[in-house]
Amino acid sequence: MKSLKNHISVIIPLFILLFSFEFVLNLDRIVKNYEESLFDDYSIVIASMTTLNENNLKKEIPLVKKLQPLSTKKVIDKFKNDFSPANLALLRTSLPKFYSVKLKYPPDEKTLEEIEKKLRAIPSITKVETFERSYTKIYTMLNFAKIISNIFTIFIFVISILLIFKQMEIWTLEHQERMYIMGLFGSPFWMKSAVLYKLVFIDSIISALAVGAIYYFVPKTEKFKQIMDSIGLSFGSVNFFDDMIILFSISVFITIFSVTLVILRQRTELK
Amino acid sequence: MDKIIIHAQKLQLSYKKGEPVIKNSSFSIHKNDFVFITGKSGSGKSTLIRSLYGELPLESGHLNVCGIDLKNISKQKLNVLRKHIGVIFQDYKLIKEWTVEKNVMLPLMIAGYSKNVCTMQAHKLLKHVKLLHKADKYPLELSGGEQQRIAIARALAHNPILILADEPTGNLDEYSSEVIWDLLKGAHQHLGTTIVIVTHKIPSTLGINYKHYFLDGGVINEVS
Repeated sequence: MKSLKNHISVIIPLFILLFSFEFVLNLDRIVKNYEESLFDDYSIVIASMTTLNENNLKKEIPLVKKLQPLSTKKVIDKFKNDFSPANLALLRTSLPKFYSVKLKYPPDEKTLEEIEKKLRAIPSITKVETFERSYTKIYTMLNFAKIISNIFTIFIFVISILLIFKQMEIWTLEHQERMYIMGLFGSPFWMKSAVLYKLVFIDSIISALAVGAIYYFVPKTEKFKQIMDSIGLSFGSVNFFDDMIILFSISVFITIFSVTLVILRQRTELK
Repeated sequence: MDKIIIHAQKLQLSYKKGEPVIKNSSFSIHKNDFVFITGKSGSGKSTLIRSLYGELPLESGHLNVCGIDLKNISKQKLNVLRKHIGVIFQDYKLIKEWTVEKNVMLPLMIAGYSKNVCTMQAHKLLKHVKLLHKADKYPLELSGGEQQRIAIARALAHNPILILADEPTGNLDEYSSEVIWDLLKGAHQHLGTTIVIVTHKIPSTLGINYKHYFLDGGVINEVS
């Protein structure tokens, strides 16, 4: 019973720590995914009195990925019944040329302003629409969510480490007499501490597996899929095996580091 | 002249700088010696024995045990020294979470013997101390006398050059004490182990030659 309590005292903070880490990892994926889909639909619309050359524009603004002419056919078709063919032809020649400008990666607010400024500086361009307000609003919101979750995770991380550290101290004190007796017969450090390392290793595996199982099975549930679909979010492609390796490595590193630090600290204090 | 196992020269030991418990003491203990160190309570008997297994650093002077200089000894070298020594304490210092068998196996495990060898040697020693039938028990299930017999079996397990015993019969009744003295005497006579015992009373019916050192005022003197 006591041993189970001891294990749970390490497993719970470790589980919370890994859970929040995996949460940040997945939130980052969701945000990135959302950002990509948002960016796929995003383009700057410009109106120019003359035909624009894509290469020239790229020279001017390196962030430009593609310059695509927009058809004015739809606009002209609207007036088909009201205008005479001669007037329609005149309208066709007098209308500016519309273009959609695709960018290489999502710009921040400042970059977008700079791009707009550069576009406006081109004499033939009469109108630039960056849709800045709607674009930057969502972008800022996503980044804000990411920052908040990162701060939250740092807090959880610190608290969990402290809890693990405390438990390691309890374990070391419980094993102190045994370690001292083993030392009287010339036992090396690794042998005296082997039991503690074994214990934390087992707890690391349990915690990593528990977190891995949650993040593997929960996204597969219908309810979860429904929620994600309804808000238009997705994890994208997740390599579960890679995530498990990351979780397991973090878990083992933290516990081994804590137990080593506690043993060394107590050894120094005993001296 | 027999090989010197312990050699102390102008040895000074203290817990607080400038307040020596053992002062300027010089002595030598030879191979196959059976030595008693006696003295009043607080005379520094346990302090001296602690320094012999390297638990207490020297304040000044020289101390050589089993050919290893203990002055500024490194952790690694201390472990080497302790592999040559068997220690016995008044409070037994058995690992209570381990079975009797595993406790006896401890020095052999540290020495790196295989599990089979460790088990075989442990059983041999448990038979010698007449406690083989309690191999699977835990120390707290045994009496004080039995625990001390286990401690002796453990101290002998790795066939040490030297056994250091700090009041080995201090907590035991007369009958158990006699058993302990017999075991220590046997190790000395049959295995040639050098034995150093700190005690407040030398048994009257030991029946072997021994050396006697008396600690008084922090100075060790041989009693002839």
